Amino acid sequence: MADRSTLASKLGGTWFGAGLASRDRDRLVASATLRAFGVGEILLREGGACETFGVLLSGLLGMQVLVPGRGTVTLLTVEPGDVYGWSALVPPHRSTSTVLGVEPGEALIFDASELRELLREDDALAATLYPRLLQSLGRRLTATRFQLLDLYARERDYVPW
Amino acid sequence: MVTSAPPGATFLPRERFDALLDLLREGGRTVIGPMLRDGAVMLDEIATAADLPAGWRDEQAPGHYRLSDGHGPRLFDVVNGPQSWKQLTFPPRLPVATARREEAGGASFAPVPPDPPRLAFLGVRACELAALRVQDRVLAGGTYVDEDYRARREAAIVVAVECTRAGATCFCASMGTGPEVRSGHDLVLTEVDDGFVVSAGSPAGDRLLARLPGPRATAAQIAAASGAVAATRAAMGDDAVATEGLRDRLMDKLDSPRWAEVADRCLACANCTMVCPTCFCTSTNVHSDLDGTVNVAEREWDSCFNVGFAKVAGGNFRPNRSERYRQWLTHKFATWYDQFGTSGCVGCGRCVTWCPVGIDVREELAAIAPPAIPVGRTPPRPAAATTGRFDVATLREVHAETDDTRTLRLTPGDPALLGGLPGQFVMVEQPGFPAFPISASRYGSEDLFLTVRGAGPATAAVLATPIGGEVGLRGPLGRPWPIDRALGRDVVVAAGGIGLAPLRPLIDALLADRDRFGSILLAYGARTPADQLFRDELASWATHGIEVVQIVDRSGPGWSGRVGVVTNLLDQRDFARRPSVAFVCGPERMMQATTRVLRDGGIPAERVFVSLERHMECGIGLCGHCQMGPFFICKDGPVFSLAELGDLFAREGI
Repeated sequence: MADRSTLASKLGGTWFGAGLASRDRDRLVASATLRAFGVGEILLREGGACETFGVLLSGLLGMQVLVPGRGTVTLLTVEPGDVYGWSALVPPHRSTSTVLGVEPGEALIFDASELRELLREDDALAATLYPRLLQSLGRRLTATRFQLLDLYARERDYVPW
Repeated sequence: MVTSAPPGATFLPRERFDALLDLLREGGRTVIGPMLRDGAVMLDEIATAADLPAGWRDEQAPGHYRLSDGHGPRLFDVVNGPQSWKQLTFPPRLPVATARREEAGGASFAPVPPDPPRLAFLGVRACELAALRVQDRVLAGGTYVDEDYRARREAAIVVAVECTRAGATCFCASMGTGPEVRSGHDLVLTEVDDGFVVSAGSPAGDRLLARLPGPRATAAQIAAASGAVAATRAAMGDDAVATEGLRDRLMDKLDSPRWAEVADRCLACANCTMVCPTCFCTSTNVHSDLDGTVNVAEREWDSCFNVGFAKVAGGNFRPNRSERYRQWLTHKFATWYDQFGTSGCVGCGRCVTWCPVGIDVREELAAIAPPAIPVGRTPPRPAAATTGRFDVATLREVHAETDDTRTLRLTPGDPALLGGLPGQFVMVEQPGFPAFPISASRYGSEDLFLTVRGAGPATAAVLATPIGGEVGLRGPLGRPWPIDRALGRDVVVAAGGIGLAPLRPLIDALLADRDRFGSILLAYGARTPADQLFRDELASWATHGIEVVQIVDRSGPGWSGRVGVVTNLLDQRDFARRPSVAFVCGPERMMQATTRVLRDGGIPAERVFVSLERHMECGIGLCGHCQMGPFFICKDGPVFSLAELGDLFAREGI
């Protein structure tokens, strides 16, 4: 088991955690653990309770949704530095996609209820963490819009909205 | 019709040299010329020819200057000493104004009017004439004029001497200023075995020459003189500084690590700027009498190497030596062109000789801004450029890339089509259909590869060509990817969809010269896995020193790679740690988003290149279809840097 200072420095080494004050990093990792995952290993399940919030340290994660008749569709892959399981912090705390390993790696994971408790009692930490979370979700939203634009489509395939 | 023959050259025997000095001294003029003093050749008053350094020669090298005598009777075998003529035209210290405190709080100010000495400059070399021209432009050629400088210049007679020896630090031939004397002089002397060939370069010179005793120079003497100058040029060589494109190359290297390295050697002593014949920076220092009533302002030579030169009340803009060295070198060899239309360096070599640690600008320029070495081939003249003329190429092979995109292997009739550069395009036509532009997706030794997506009747007609059938080609046309800008730098290649096709010859060229570039990243986004071009090659590039990262908008069966957009691959990378260059091709909206994250990641706009697509019919800037702002995309592009495009890039309706 990695000690706390190692976890804090791993968090600071990601773009999500870069620039966090050491006090904030220390508070956040107080209840964090490392989780290694392999290819195909499921970390969160779509529609299930989102009990962990994670920051990807290495490897690649896929975000899948199930479409009856089409099977599971990977909508997005998550690169190291990015987060997953944001539903852990936002009601109703249910995963919006199934998160699974695409390339083996490691994540820094936070227990959802402990993290929520921590953010409730530490306003300053919450005020630091939530804008970062919004920033990474905003980045994901912008990228999704580009996917929706279907920029590489042939003219005849392109259906105007 | 009456013609007056130009006055010929006169021969002045060496033993009659005083006759020239007498002539120059008429009207109370003082002759200033080279004279031995303090172990160097300095500029001083010349009373007789005996004051000149007859038989002396100098040995110059970076940080090295030695004199030796006994080399025969010649008077001007020494080259440049530490002093240049700005010593006299632009003195190191000059009172310029007085200011007085009057009774009852009043103040009065008065300039010091110019009072130039009447001088004859004897022994001005070609590089020095060029330096005087440079200072004329800086100090007396703009809106505001340095009155004292102008008065001193107008009061002086200039007697030039052509160099028949060059020092090891001389590089006037590289800078295009010498050793031949061409203009800016009243008289010019060229020393030969037993005297001087003298000719005039101005009306005042004509009048002096007419009164100089001596026979007309013979053809043999004139030939000996010009032969000696030509030998000096040959001995010096003209490749010490690669001046072509130097301005842009140097300004492109503001972040070179070499600035810090040279700063480790540089003492910031300012010697180079003091001995430089064109450096003109000064400070005005005020000297007061004891009660502060009378104040004299003196203009004194200053230097951009001095620590306080760029200081303001809130701090110092160039506190580090590396910044001050960069300021000096980039001003002298680059921004001087912008300000004054010429190089600030004339190649006299003084800054090299008199640098106490022997820093050699020629060496620094070559290290910091080496001449662009062509990567791959040079662009050929296009085969059949003009509309209506086509080279006929035979279709050899068709490779299906995706369900609607094919790569055609064509053997052109004219080999010029094989000599194109990455990023160039050809106009393709099948009889009965309009021509359309297609970027070459590879240049083979005998074949040209074009990757064509069936989008309409014209492309369909070309794609329907049977093997062995023929199509018309014009090209290669347009401006290629500037691969030379990537030499020694990290390279980012970002492709979207079929935008990978124009980038493939670039990747070929990078791989062919792999060790001349830093890291290479290819970020490739496609609509689906089935829409990827060159699938087999992507894996092979990854094993040949390119980091290949692929991503698709929509995953599909069997796809276990990344899903998302290209920007996801780039927006968390730091490109500022090492100088990087980016080449981007894809749909315009994709290029806009991608170039934004590359800029945010630290690549300057000058080094982010995109290839634009526009409707083209002629491909040579005549039909007007592809006009965008001031550019014809076909002729001025299709490759542009973001800096060139400015606000035009990805703007709606342009």
